[in-house]
Amino acid sequence: MRGLVALLGPAKVLGAHEDLLMYEYDGAVDTATPDAVVLPDNTADVAALARFCHEHAVPIVPRGAGTGLSGGAIAVEGGVVVSFARMARIIEIDVPNLRAVVQPGVINLHLSTAVAPHGLYFVPDPSSQKACTLGGNVAENSGGPHTLAYGVTTNHVTGIEIVLSDGTVVRLGGKAVEDEGFDLVGAFVGSEGTLGLVTEMTVKLTPLPEDKRTLMAAFPTMDEASETVSAIIAAGIVPSAMEMMDQLAIQAVEASVHAGYPLDAGGILLLEVDGPRDGLDDVRARIEEICRAHLAREVRVASSALERERLWAGRKGAFAAMGRLSPDYYVQDGVIPRTRLPDILRLVKEAGLRHRLRVANVFHAGDGNLHPLILFDSRLGPDELERAKAAGLEILTACVEAGGSITGEHGVGMEKNCYMPLQFGPSDLAAMRRIKDAFDPDGLMNPGKIFPTPSRCREFAFAATAR
Amino acid sequence: MSATVTRVVPADAAECARILAEAARDRRTVRVIGSGTKSYIGDVAPTDIEVGTSRLAGVIDHEPADLTVTVGAGMRIADVALLLERAGQFLPLDPPHADEATIGGVIAASSNGFWRARYGAVRDLLIGSRIALADGTVARAGGRVVKNVAGYDLDKLLVGSFGTLGVIVEATLKVLPVPAASDGLVARFARSADAFAAADAVVRGASRVEACVVERGEGTAWRLAVQARGSAPTVKRAIEDARREAAARQGEIRELGDALGPLRELPARATDGALVRVSLPVAASPAFAETAARLDSLDALVADAASGIVRVHLQGDDDAVVRDAEALLVAARVVGGAGRIERRAEHLRSRLSTWPTRPNGDFLMRRIKEAFDPAGILEPGRSAFA
Repeated sequence: MRGLVALLGPAKVLGAHEDLLMYEYDGAVDTATPDAVVLPDNTADVAALARFCHEHAVPIVPRGAGTGLSGGAIAVEGGVVVSFARMARIIEIDVPNLRAVVQPGVINLHLSTAVAPHGLYFVPDPSSQKACTLGGNVAENSGGPHTLAYGVTTNHVTGIEIVLSDGTVVRLGGKAVEDEGFDLVGAFVGSEGTLGLVTEMTVKLTPLPEDKRTLMAAFPTMDEASETVSAIIAAGIVPSAMEMMDQLAIQAVEASVHAGYPLDAGGILLLEVDGPRDGLDDVRARIEEICRAHLAREVRVASSALERERLWAGRKGAFAAMGRLSPDYYVQDGVIPRTRLPDILRLVKEAGLRHRLRVANVFHAGDGNLHPLILFDSRLGPDELERAKAAGLEILTACVEAGGSITGEHGVGMEKNCYMPLQFGPSDLAAMRRIKDAFDPDGLMNPGKIFPTPSRCREFAFAATAR
Repeated sequence: MSATVTRVVPADAAECARILAEAARDRRTVRVIGSGTKSYIGDVAPTDIEVGTSRLAGVIDHEPADLTVTVGAGMRIADVALLLERAGQFLPLDPPHADEATIGGVIAASSNGFWRARYGAVRDLLIGSRIALADGTVARAGGRVVKNVAGYDLDKLLVGSFGTLGVIVEATLKVLPVPAASDGLVARFARSADAFAAADAVVRGASRVEACVVERGEGTAWRLAVQARGSAPTVKRAIEDARREAAARQGEIRELGDALGPLRELPARATDGALVRVSLPVAASPAFAETAARLDSLDALVADAASGIVRVHLQGDDDAVVRDAEALLVAARVVGGAGRIERRAEHLRSRLSTWPTRPNGDFLMRRIKEAFDPAGILEPGRSAFA
C-alpha cells in the first residue's frame, strides 16, 4: 500500500476496508476483496502500476463498471484492482474514417449518444449499456441483442493500446481494418483482462439505419416461439435482433417496466429489422405471416419510436426486473445451434424442477444464446446458491453436448473456469495457454480466470480426464 | 539443404499432426499447400517437406437453419459454394483465385474480396477450426455456434498466419441465405476525387452495398463499380442512390456486367512487376490513389472504397517499380495504414521483400510463434514479424 501511494499519490489509491468492499463484487455471484484499488488517470499511471506489481509479483485485476456477469473483475487471488473510472474520455470522433478513439472507462451508451449527431452509432449493445464500459466490452467481447446481424465487440474494434503485466506499452492495429502479422487485436478482445490492460481503443462507427420495424409476437408456448425463429431464418430473413422471453420473465418485466407484454403468453419474441426504408414493410409483413403461421396470438408492431423504446425497455430491463420475483438470481450464458432451441429449453425447465428452483428465460434466440435466470434466495442458506450452480452446470453441459458453448458473451471469468474442460480438451487449453504465456509470462494479469485452477477446480477434474 | 522435397498428403488431422511432429524432431522445414494459388506471398525458399491438404476435404456438417457450415480445410471455396447453393445459401467471401482457392488457404492468407465491409472479413466469418500443431497434437478453437467467448479466440490468430502456427485442417464458417435480387453499375469519371466522393456517398448511404470499388486501369479515367444484393426493393433503392451520386459528379454510367471479376482477380493477373497491397484508414484512400496515379510505373489500381484496402500494380523499369513500391508502403504508413509487397516478379524477389518493416507488437508475435513452433519449421519466410 505504502509503495503504491508513493508511486501514484494518495488520490489514486484506495486501501481502507470500507473502500475495498465496493470492489469485491461484480454483476455475478462470487466475491473477493482486493488488497488495494488504483484509479489511474492515464496510460503512464497504468504502466507505472504494472511495473510496480511486476516487481513485487502482485496480481492485477482490471475493472470497468463492475457489471460483468462472470466474476471477471473480482480479485479472486488478491492483488490490485485497477478501476478505469477516471480514464473515461472520448479522445476522437473521426467521422470520415468511421472510427472513434476512446479510453476504456467510457460508458458504452455514451459513445453512441456522442456520435448520434453524425448519424452514427457503436453496434454492440449489451443490456447493461447504460452502465458498462467499452474497456469491459473489449475484455469480455460483449454482445447484445443486435449482434445477430452486426456482430459482437471483436467485429468492431480495429486498434488497441495495451499495457502488459511488465509495464510495456504496445499499440496494436489502428484505424485501418487490418495490420500485417498476427491479428493480436483479435486475440486480445475477449481475453477477460488476462493478457494485459487496455488503455485506449479504436472502434468502428456504423451509419445508423435509415429506419426500423420492431415487432412483438406472443405465442402460446416457447415451442412455437422457438420454431418461429428457425422458420424466419429458413425464409431467408436475418433480422437485426430476435429476442425471446418466457412467461416468468414476462411477469417480472411487466411488474417493473410495464413494457406492454401480454401476461398470459407462454413466450414472446421481440424482433427487429432495419435498413433502407424500401422493402422494410415487406419484410415486416413476411415476419408477421410466419409468426401467425406458428400460432402467434398477437403480433404488435411498434408504431412510434416511443413504442419501440417501450418494447425494448422490457428486454433491456429484464435482468433487473428479476428482483420482483426473487432476491437473487444466477444467470447462465450457454450457446447452442439455434435449431436445438426447443430441446434445450425443455432441458432447462427440467434442470430447474430437479433442483427445486424457478428459472426465467430471457435470451438472444437468433444467436442461440441462452440466458436462463436461475432464481434463488441466499437468505435461506448457502445450499440455495449451490443448487443454482448445480442447475447451471447441467444446463451448460447440455449446451456443450448439443455442439455449443459454455458462454456466448458473459465470459468465463472465475465463474466457469472449472467448466472449461467440458468444452475444450487438454490440447485446446494448452494452445490457449501458449497465448497467455506470450503476453503474460509471469501470470500476474487477472489470475484465476478462464483457465481451470487446481485448487478451485478439483471436483471437476473428472471432466478433464474424461476427454 | 536436400535437393528433393518430400510431398505428403495426410488423410486426416491426426496424420497431419504426426507429420509435423516428426518434421519438428528432425528440424525439417514445412510448407503447407492448399491449391498453391497464393504461394507468391512471403519471402519463401524451398522447404524440406510440402504438406498438401487435398485429402482434408469434404463437408463435415451443414445444418442450413443454423447458418453455419463445417468443412475440411482442403475443400475448394468454389465447391463449398456449390454445396451451399443447393440449400439456397452462400459463403459471403469473394477472395481472389476464386476458382482454385481452398478454405484453408483463404483463412491462412486472410484472403478477402470486396464483400468484407458488407458481410465481414474471414476473421469475422470464421467461428471455429481444428489445427494440427507442431507438437503432434490437434487443437480445436472456437466451435460451431455463432456466438462463443469461451477462452481465447485462437481463430483470430490463424487468420492471416500463413501456416506459421500450424496446419488448419477444419473450419466452421457463418453462411447466409442467397439474396433474392442483384444489380450494379459502373460509372466512369475523369477525376479520381469525383470517383471517390461518389463511392464515399454510396458507402455512407442508407443501403449497405455488397461491393463499392474504385479502379484506375488503362488510360487516365477512374471507374466506380457498385454491386448490391438483397431484396428487390433494397437493391433498386441502392442502385438508384448510387446512380444519383455518380450522375451528380458527372459520372458516365454503364451496366456492371462482370466488371468486378477482373478487379477482384488483380492479384492473380499481376505476374510481372510488383503488386502492392495496403490497408488504410478509409478516408485516406483518395489521396493515396492520387499519389499512386502519379507514379511512373503504375499499371492498375483497385481500391475497395468500403474497407480501405488498396492494391496497386506496378510494372515496367525494375528500378522504377522498386522505388515506387517502396514509396507506396511509406505513404500508407504515414497515414496510419500498413501494407506489403503482395506479389512481385521472380527476379525482383531479392530487391523487394514482402514485409520490409515489422508491425507493431512484433515481439509478441515472435513469442507466440516460438510457443507454437519452437523448432521454427513451419512456413519459414512467411512471418511479417521475423
